[in-house]
Amino acid sequence: MNIAPRYLGRGSWLARRDPRVLILVVALFIFTVLQIWDARIVLGLLAIALIYYRTGNIPWSQIRRNWTVVFVFIGLLVLVNAIVAGGETATVSLADAHVIFHLPLLGTPMSAESISVAVTLFLRYLTMATIGFPVAFAIAPNDFGVAFRRLGVPEKFAFGIDLTFRFLPSLAADFQSTVDAQRIRGYDWSAGAKGFLGKIRRSGPVIVPTVVNAIAGAEDTIDAMDLRAFGTGKRTWVRQLTFDRTDRLVLLFFGALLAAATVWGFSHGSAIWTPEFLIDLAPR
Amino acid sequence: MATMKMERGALWEVSSRTIVYAAIGAALYGILLVAQIPIPGSTVSVRPAFALVPFFGYAFGPIVGLFTGLVGNAIGDQISGWGALTSWNWSIANGLVGLIAGLAPLYLARWVNGNLRDRAIGGAVAGAVGVVIGFLFTFTDVIIQAGQTVGASTTSYGQAVIGDLIGTVILVPILVYAWEPVKAQLGR
Repeated sequence: MNIAPRYLGRGSWLARRDPRVLILVVALFIFTVLQIWDARIVLGLLAIALIYYRTGNIPWSQIRRNWTVVFVFIGLLVLVNAIVAGGETATVSLADAHVIFHLPLLGTPMSAESISVAVTLFLRYLTMATIGFPVAFAIAPNDFGVAFRRLGVPEKFAFGIDLTFRFLPSLAADFQSTVDAQRIRGYDWSAGAKGFLGKIRRSGPVIVPTVVNAIAGAEDTIDAMDLRAFGTGKRTWVRQLTFDRTDRLVLLFFGALLAAATVWGFSHGSAIWTPEFLIDLAPR
Repeated sequence: MATMKMERGALWEVSSRTIVYAAIGAALYGILLVAQIPIPGSTVSVRPAFALVPFFGYAFGPIVGLFTGLVGNAIGDQISGWGALTSWNWSIANGLVGLIAGLAPLYLARWVNGNLRDRAIGGAVAGAVGVVIGFLFTFTDVIIQAGQTVGASTTSYGQAVIGDLIGTVILVPILVYAWEPVKAQLGR
């Protein structure tokens, strides 16, 4: 059972960056995107996100399924939002909206304005997901602890993050062993249950031993940490992180983008852009 | 230290035991998130692994619960390829569930300090309280995604709460029943 995070961008330009850059870029870029409502500018930001993403050299064939999940997830979210909004937007009431059609079966009105909001929301989510993917695939898993520590996360918690990644492979193997052991006894947790409540109950004999074994087995790790006087003094990390010139330039670029979006937002505001051709589609 | 019968002062203690239990909780949650059971006729999925968040909070304290939910959800997103930080507010909501369940000694003292049956019931109640309150944080989607309506956020909240409440109420007591004898055996 291979459950460990996949370091698919290994060796790429993005993977050679200080891991803090990838984390900070996500934060800077998300707050940039959140301030922009004009779909034309969001498209420009999506292009920047795609260029950034491409520098991670993440093989498409290995993450095609992940992208499918992203599209389905975002699509459903936007669809639910559009249905709940019922043709209105935050600034345009249904009476003023240009209703183009009604959804079959539900009868929910879809206006030029609500469709524009839905498309913009979709693009915004997509842009944020695109900038988030490199964190998943272009940071070495053992770099997370030290990266968060150097970003100001308390030492013990940063070590906890590091420890979590280290536990993943062994606990995943333990989980698989438990599943196999139960199967040998004729117990398949994923089959034979009636109804979803039955399925949950059937997960107990697999989840409970995995959890209790993991907790009971933690004593060795706790003893090892106590014997090494964990938490009694300042901790050092084997991996040293330093920003190089490129790292600083990347951060400067995304920082400038956030500053520009913020200044523009305060001085001009950012509103939903409804294309004329959509308004023209509405019956007069 | 941080097991069910805990002193108020011990709730916020951070020792090697806290860190290791928190890391195990987060790793298990991240791993077991792969298993989801859809509820027929709805878009809701029950995630049995979610029960680990209130359980770890209830059994080992609010710090462990917070870490298990926060980091575990981020790790689950990381493994799935969504990116650890993309849905950061949902990870915080998961963490809050663990934190609130971990504070049970403050608001469910009678059950927490009762017999095994009481502690198991207390676990389910603390988990349920944690789920209902903790996931309120997901309404930040309305602010973060300013175009998302309160109605859409309510739908997301409702789906998360229903699915996770079912898993919590069924599995947390089972986990408490399983863990308590082992805890006594280990002398914790």
